[in-house]
Amino acid sequence: MSMITMKNVYYQYPLEKEQVLKNINLSIEKGKVYGLVGHNDAGKTTLCNVIRGFIPSFYRGKLTGEIELDGKTIQEYSMGDLATRIGYSFQNPFTQISGVKETVFEEIAYGLENLGTAPEVIGEKVRELIAMFKLDALQEKNPFELSGGQKQRVALAAIIALDPEVIVIDEPTSQLDPQGTEEIFKIIDLMKKKGKTIILVEHKIDLIAAYVDEVIVMSQGEIKMIGKTSEVFTNKEVLTYGGQLPQVALLSLALQNAGITMPTIPITLVEAQQAIEKILSREV
Amino acid sequence: MTNAIQKLYPSTKMSIVLAVILFTLMMPGYISQYSVFPIFIIIAFISGVGTKFLSAFIKSIFVLVLFIFVFQCFLIPSDTVIWSKGILTLYKEGLEASLLMTSKIIAISSSLIWFFLVTPIKDMMFALEKAGFSKKFTFVIYSTIQLIPQMKKLSQTILEAQKSRGIETEGSLMIRLKAFLPMLGPLVLSSIQQTEEKVLALEARAFSATVRKSSYYQMSKKPVDYLVISVIFIGFMIFVWWRFFK
Ligand SMILES: Nc1ncnc2c1ncn2[C@@H]1O[C@H](COP(=O)(O)OP(=O)(O)O)[C@@H](O)[C@H]1O
Ligand SMILES: [Mg+2]
Repeated sequence: MSMITMKNVYYQYPLEKEQVLKNINLSIEKGKVYGLVGHNDAGKTTLCNVIRGFIPSFYRGKLTGEIELDGKTIQEYSMGDLATRIGYSFQNPFTQISGVKETVFEEIAYGLENLGTAPEVIGEKVRELIAMFKLDALQEKNPFELSGGQKQRVALAAIIALDPEVIVIDEPTSQLDPQGTEEIFKIIDLMKKKGKTIILVEHKIDLIAAYVDEVIVMSQGEIKMIGKTSEVFTNKEVLTYGGQLPQVALLSLALQNAGITMPTIPITLVEAQQAIEKILSREV
Repeated sequence: MTNAIQKLYPSTKMSIVLAVILFTLMMPGYISQYSVFPIFIIIAFISGVGTKFLSAFIKSIFVLVLFIFVFQCFLIPSDTVIWSKGILTLYKEGLEASLLMTSKIIAISSSLIWFFLVTPIKDMMFALEKAGFSKKFTFVIYSTIQLIPQMKKLSQTILEAQKSRGIETEGSLMIRLKAFLPMLGPLVLSSIQQTEEKVLALEARAFSATVRKSSYYQMSKKPVDYLVISVIFIGFMIFVWWRFFK
C-alpha cells in the first residue's frame, strides 16, 4: 500500500531563479525503509520538507504537483495532524531542541504534553525511550549542553515518542562516531519492525546497504534512480550522479570485468563473504 | 530547591508582589516605601537568594535610581535651592520628586526581582498553563525570559571567535565598541535564524495540536499557600481600612 505518493512535483524557493525540485514522482510504500542519497545540494532536505508539509506552509515559494499521504492530499491535514503522522528529525542538530525544556527527560516529554497525554503515560513512555536510546546518563542534563550527536539522538527519541506512522530522518549520523551511528541504525531497524515507514537521508553507504529496502538517488533536484537496494547499489549508473556504491559492490563489479563471474553482486560484507565462499567452493 | 519559600505556588508569590505594588501606590510619602527594600533583603536571604538579590538590584535598579537622583535634583531647576557649590545646585522640588519616584521604583522592583529569583521558570509556565493561558502565550513568555541569557552566550561565542582572529576585544571603550559593533549584525541575524528554526522544531513536536496541553511536571497549591494568601489578603484589607476609612 502506498503511504506517500508524489506526482509531477516541482518546487522553487522564494526569490530563487531555479527550481530545486523537478518532476518528482514517487511512491513510498507503507512499512518500508527508504534511503535517500545524492550529492550535497541535490535537494534531499528540500524533498523531506515537502513530504513533511513544511513546504509550503513554512518555507513559501512555488510548489506544484500532487502530494498524497495515506490517500488524502497533504493540504487536507492540519498542522497538528501532520506532526503526529510524520515525525521529522532535522539535519541541523541545533534545530532539534525545542528550547523550552530544562532537561533531556522533559525535552522528550514535550511533544506528548502538546498532545495532551496524561502525565503517568508520559512518564512511562519517556522512560521507555530513554532506555531504548541509552540516554540514562543524560536525562537530567540541559538539552542545550549536549553535543551535536547527543542532540540528534534526543530529537529522534522525542519524535518517536509521538509514535508517527512515517519517520523522516535527515542525516542523523553526520555528527556521530561509528558506535553512535550503529545505535541509530539499530533504532531504525527496530522502528521498521514496528511497521513504521521510514525515509532516511544518509551518506554512509555501507550502512544504507545493510539496513534499507529501497534507495532513491537524487541529483540536481531530480530523482534519477529508485529501486531495491540490491539493484540500485549494484548499478554503476549511481556513480554518474555523484553517488557512491558500497566498496564490496565496486570490487565485485571490477572482478566481473576482469572475467571472474560472480554469483551475485554483493552490497554488504556478509553477502560478499557468501559470494566468495561460493566462488571458492566452485573452484575446489 | 529545598527552600520552603521557593516551593510556594507561583500565584502565592505573585500575590505578595501585587500587595506590595498596591501598598506602594496607595501609601503617601516615601518612608514606608523605602522600608520595603530592607524587608525584601531579609526575605531574600530567608528564601536563599540574598546575594543574588543584592547583586541583581545593584546592577539594575541602583544605577537607574542614581541616574534619576542626579537628573532630578541637579539638572531640573526650580524655586527652592537647598545647597549650592560651583556649578552644582540642589533644588528642593527635585529632591522631593526623586524621593517619591525612587521610593516606589525601589519597592516595586525589589518585590519583582525577588519574585523572579524564587520562582523557577518551570513553575511559572506550569501555573500560567494551569490558569488557562495558551501555549503560544507561555511560549512567548518563556522565550523572552530565555532571550537575554541566550544572546549573552551567543555574543560571548562571537567575541571569542573575534579574539581568536586577533581582533582586540578588551581595553578602552573605543576598542570595545570597535569589537562590539561588527558583532551586532551576526548576533541579530543568527537570533532571527534561530527563532525561525525553533518554529520548525516546535512544530515537529506537535506544537500546533489543538488539544489542551498537559504537563508531566506537576505542582499544586498546598495548605501553606492558602495560609500565605489569606494572611496577605487580611493584612491588605486592614491596611486599606486604616488608610481610607479610619
Ligand atoms: N531556504 C532556502 N532558500 C533558498 N534556497 C535554498 C533553501 N534551502 C536550500 N536551498 C537550496 O536548495 C538546493 C537544495 O538544497 P537541499 O535540499 O538542502 O540539498 P541537500 O539536502 O541534498 O544537501 C541548494 O541549492 C540550496 O542552496
Ligand atoms: Mg540536506
